[in-house]
Amino acid sequence: MDPAPDPRPGAGAPGPDLRSLRTRSTRYHRPRAPFCGVGYCTNCLVRVNGVPNVRACRTPFAPTDRVEVENAWPSSRFDLLAAFDVVFPHGIDTLRGFRRPAFARGFYQRVVRRLAGTGALPTPTRPVGTAPARTIETDVVIVGAGTAGRACAGAVVGAGGRPVVLEREPGAAAVDGAEVVVGTTAVFLPPPVLGRPFPFQLIASAPGGSATEVHARRVVVAVGGYDASLWFAGSDRPGVLTADGAERMHPAKRPGFHRAVVFGGGPRALEMLNRFPEHVDAVVAPGTIDPDVSRRASELDIPLYPRTLVLGALGRSRVERVRLTRRGGSSPTFEIPVDAVVLAHRRLPHAQLFFQAGARMAWRPDVGAYSPAIGACGETSVPGLFAAGEPAGAARPDDAVRSGEVAGAAVVAGGPSPSLPVAPAPEGRHELEGYYQEWLAAGPGPGKVVVCPCEDVLLPELLDATDRGYRGIEVIKRYTGLGTGLCQGRYCLPDALFVLAARERRPVPEVGYITQRPPVVPTSLGALAGLPEPGGPPP
Amino acid sequence: MTPPTRRSYRVAIVGGGIVGLFTAYHLLRAGAGPVVVLERGFLSSGASGRNGGGVRQQWDTRATVRLMREAVGAWKRFGREFGTNVWFRQGGYLFLATTPDEVGRLHKVTEAVRAEGLDGRLLDATDVPRHAPALSLDGVLGATFLRTDGTLYPFPGVWGVYEAVRALGGEVCLGVEVTGVRIEGGRAVGLTTSAGPVDATTVVNAAGGWSADVSRLAGLAVPNVASRHEILATEPLKPFLDPMVIRLSDGLYFSQTMRGEVVGGLAVPHPTGTRAGVPTSVAFLGSMSRSLVRLVPALAPVGVLRAWSGYYDDTPDGFPVIGEDPRLPGFVHANGFSGHGFMLSPASSKRVAKAVMGEPTDLDPAQFSPGRFLDPHRAATPEGLQPG
Ligand SMILES: Cc1cc2nc3c(=O)[nH]c(=O)nc-3n(C[C@H](O)[C@H](O)[C@H](O)COP(=O)(O)OP(=O)(O)OC[C@H]3O[C@@H](n4cnc5c(N)ncnc54)[C@H](O)[C@@H]3O)c2cc1C
Repeated sequence: MDPAPDPRPGAGAPGPDLRSLRTRSTRYHRPRAPFCGVGYCTNCLVRVNGVPNVRACRTPFAPTDRVEVENAWPSSRFDLLAAFDVVFPHGIDTLRGFRRPAFARGFYQRVVRRLAGTGALPTPTRPVGTAPARTIETDVVIVGAGTAGRACAGAVVGAGGRPVVLEREPGAAAVDGAEVVVGTTAVFLPPPVLGRPFPFQLIASAPGGSATEVHARRVVVAVGGYDASLWFAGSDRPGVLTADGAERMHPAKRPGFHRAVVFGGGPRALEMLNRFPEHVDAVVAPGTIDPDVSRRASELDIPLYPRTLVLGALGRSRVERVRLTRRGGSSPTFEIPVDAVVLAHRRLPHAQLFFQAGARMAWRPDVGAYSPAIGACGETSVPGLFAAGEPAGAARPDDAVRSGEVAGAAVVAGGPSPSLPVAPAPEGRHELEGYYQEWLAAGPGPGKVVVCPCEDVLLPELLDATDRGYRGIEVIKRYTGLGTGLCQGRYCLPDALFVLAARERRPVPEVGYITQRPPVVPTSLGALAGLPEPGGPPP
Repeated sequence: MTPPTRRSYRVAIVGGGIVGLFTAYHLLRAGAGPVVVLERGFLSSGASGRNGGGVRQQWDTRATVRLMREAVGAWKRFGREFGTNVWFRQGGYLFLATTPDEVGRLHKVTEAVRAEGLDGRLLDATDVPRHAPALSLDGVLGATFLRTDGTLYPFPGVWGVYEAVRALGGEVCLGVEVTGVRIEGGRAVGLTTSAGPVDATTVVNAAGGWSADVSRLAGLAVPNVASRHEILATEPLKPFLDPMVIRLSDGLYFSQTMRGEVVGGLAVPHPTGTRAGVPTSVAFLGSMSRSLVRLVPALAPVGVLRAWSGYYDDTPDGFPVIGEDPRLPGFVHANGFSGHGFMLSPASSKRVAKAVMGEPTDLDPAQFSPGRFLDPHRAATPEGLQPG
């Protein structure tokens, strides 16, 4: 993972200050604050110049931009519609409720329809048309200009190649000899059509802009990973955020919190301690805490709570206390006052592009996620498609460099045939399996446990589904709506796998795969409309 | 996997989509005896979990209008009869014509609709904004609108019927694949499955896009063809569109769901990839986006959230196949539903159940029977209004 530059929210940049931005959730109008900082969650959506659902965390604002809050009345801090959260402490049952009496059908539909949806239909102040896509043809395309992607590009250039590198962040530095296309997210990589001069066709898009279509012979996906969420009561409350979010949205010196609890006992937790040494009050971990984390914490005089369940983040408009209990059953609960919970316990690789391309995916119990099955050079089961960095299992920067270089060399050499004999899948169980089992047994509460913040799906809906005999992640997803919102399940399905495994009493891989449908991030109809007509010139 | 609990059933149904489940429901309600539904995937893994949820009564054949009129009644009652809410919202269906020929076709449709006592309206282009203000009228010459058409949310439909079947004592075996049809003395007498053989007095082929394969397992050649159709959903928006909108020229259809997403596709089969899984193509994303933005320019900045695809089970004349196969007693078809099997299922499955019980149905054999393809002279005129 790359060290993130210090963000300077508010400082000279017009637009909302991400530390104090407040939004409202879709159904229950619960207060929300930016959570992930990397453009996936729904918590920083604002309407900009009449365009709905713009992610404030990824948008460069101009001084003249009109920024409005969505989904709240009269304001996001004081939203009368939040009454729904209070009036329905157990949620609104749209699956089984509202069925009677017959004459009320139309009325129910109007009310429930108004509660759904996020922003309103665009009324753009500037015309937003369809922009013709840019087409690039290249031997090698590398997706991601992070540590692994840059190392890979360097290796390809060193061997005389001239790769194209796509990078989502706007400010990525150049790589000598490579063409770096910045501010462009790869959203769709269909399976290659072997036998074509350029078997791969990769679609990328810039937010609010046009699409890019890359035709390539080989693809290296080095898109990194992200910090996962965690389920507990109030996990959607302002003040709870991922390590990504803390890093991207909070300056190390003056973050928007003063006494955070860092959740996690590994390298990512250590990074958080080092970044915010004066603003962390406790380290809580689902399992054991690494020695270097313990050492650093004791230097800083920060208490440690290993093997501890987070039962709730309590407070009104933001987190004021966390409720915890030691694992192992029958321990009393206790609370510590905090104003932020930083989730730094689990990094998940971005795996969508591999899945789309048809690569064989494997469950990795050490990471607690699915990632592509790879061989020694990062080759996947799809000929010509390689993984580098976190999707290839690299956990630390030097591993990422190495995996990038190895993949780069293999790509130039033509790549080994994808037989994948190496790296047997690690065995065992992820620590969150046992964690969630105990969490369920502890009787989750107090208050709502919002398991899917995008769609405001509540834990009881999920438990009810398994009680009724619905099994497997695919069906539970469709039954509850879990994972069907704007983040497309990034912040709920990885946890759902563990909770379902506990409920269904079977190993995680039997609960199913998290199907990831294209595009990787929402991509505007206008940009997609600019893709060239098949077999014809661009429109 | 949930294996069958018995060796012998009155009826074994291949396919646990909405058609198979509704058929089981009607059979159990009629007291047919033990019924088993065999589904190789998970519940809703087929087209029943991949469709656009459209429910319309605008057709150019009166028999279809009649069937759908009955089905609309069933969908309205669904929430009271079953434990789940399908949110059947009658926001209407708006068909748009952009050529005089298409206007002519819509005329014929409205005639059929009105002849069946429904309030179908022919509209001038200038009337369209009243029903769908966001549309650009560019190129629209005329339209039809029927207020009582609408959209529903398919999943609760599947769950509701599934639960009802189980409550009535029916078995739904998930993760069980049918691998053969057992025939003795010229009759279908059961199935072989991945969970072992089962005996059945009647076998029902409700395998959707895979129905031709299942017929083939029974040694029967059928003209059904699976065609892949792609579809997408946008970010959820506050309500702005009430009806399902269909443009005849390119088969564009879309509606706004209860959750606010714009869901739609192009009702033209995708040229490539049949049987290659259920992927999305770049070509679809491009042509669908172009088509939609041309009709609703304000949607240009709205994000596509996800895209997926599923299989239609097409027949040469566009009508479903309902009834016992004349070549194989004991083998009943409930397939060929093209792009409208979900909406039809409450009404069509009642007829399938009757056919299983050996009772006569009100369906014109020239239009719906499996035998119609065996006798070219009996072929009916094809259904003209295919999209959506
Ligand atoms: C993109 C799209 C949009 C659509 N839009 C609409 C719409 O707006 N309105 C509408 O009414 N209809 C629509 N349809 C059509 C509708 O979805 C189908 O007609 C309907 O769902 C068919 O139901 P079914 O039960 O016959 O098929 P399916 O739901 O496909 O069920 C068939 C089942 O059979 C199983 N199966 C197959 N072979 C075997 C075997 N050998 N052993 C065991 N099981 C087997 C499959 O796994 C599958 O689950 C659409 C379809 C698609 C693809």
